[in-house]
Amino acid sequence: MSDNKPQAQVIKPPQTLQGKVDKGGPGAVDLDALAKAEDVIANLADDYLNWVQEDLMKMEAAFTKMEKGDGDPKELLDNIFQVAHDMKGQGGSFGYDLMTAIGDQLCRLVEKMDKVGPREIGMIRVHIDAMKVIITKELKGDGGDEGRQLLMGLSLVGDKI
Amino acid sequence: MSDYNLSRLNFLIVDDNKHMRALVKSILHALGVKNVLEASDGADAFKELRHFPADVIICDWNMSPLDGLDFVRMVRTGSDSPNPFVPIIMLTGHTEMNRVMEARDSGVHEFLAKPISAKKLYSRIRSIIENPRPFVRAGLYFGPDRRRKASPNYNGPERRQSEQEGGGNEGEVDASELSQDEINALLNG
Repeated sequence: MSDNKPQAQVIKPPQTLQGKVDKGGPGAVDLDALAKAEDVIANLADDYLNWVQEDLMKMEAAFTKMEKGDGDPKELLDNIFQVAHDMKGQGGSFGYDLMTAIGDQLCRLVEKMDKVGPREIGMIRVHIDAMKVIITKELKGDGGDEGRQLLMGLSLVGDKI
Repeated sequence: MSDYNLSRLNFLIVDDNKHMRALVKSILHALGVKNVLEASDGADAFKELRHFPADVIICDWNMSPLDGLDFVRMVRTGSDSPNPFVPIIMLTGHTEMNRVMEARDSGVHEFLAKPISAKKLYSRIRSIIENPRPFVRAGLYFGPDRRRKASPNYNGPERRQSEQEGGGNEGEVDASELSQDEINALLNG
């Protein structure tokens, strides 16, 4: 070890959370409280279906521009990535695991695209269509046979790029 | 599992997606948290921190104009930062190994993979309560000690530096996605 390497300085934070939380007693987070919190999320599932419709509309707006050749393709790809990323991050919380899986696949696909042509547009379209199917049919979990087939088909599309 | 009462903790949620903020806020309220403030990006959150005494920040990664990583760095090292020590949970759909390491190296305490659940969020909060970590200033890094496991026999100055210089695999990290359990194992390793 040479002498000119900076030494790490260790600092004790002025306060920790332990001073502000009580352990046990009324109001503490026990298994019941966690189960209730999971119920709160489950009760938001209807709201989620509205949220995801909004997301889908945003994605379709970018996609339509892309189809028409309007706007900067890179920016539109980025818009689609951002929405797909949000959809990936939310679906599973409400039991829509397939939406999370397809959102992820669309992200992986779009980040590999360096141009937008008919092939790329077709690839994105099948993902958007699959998302619409999930919402319309309210396919929860892995979507059963239909969902698995959907995902497998989209994986094959993703492998082509 | 230890039961903690979170009612006195102030949480700041930073996410540009209002639905995600609503979800996190609903979970926190269900866990007994009373005081939750929301911000829609890093710059907004930094402003809020000037008057809101956050005990924990839950922060998304993808935001503009100031994204989650930039925000964390500003909180940790900004000369005008109101609280450089505040615990931060990075909440994101980016779960590739290199992303997890990047978040860790920006100075976050915990990494929570989306999609979230109440149980996953509480487990990260509990981890911060139960494992308060010293802060380290080493080179450009200032943040919680990235070595979570105590190593009583270690007397050297900078393991991270030797990892970076000698490891030689920083650019070769696996880009495949990790589960929350794998992320925890990686960060605890």
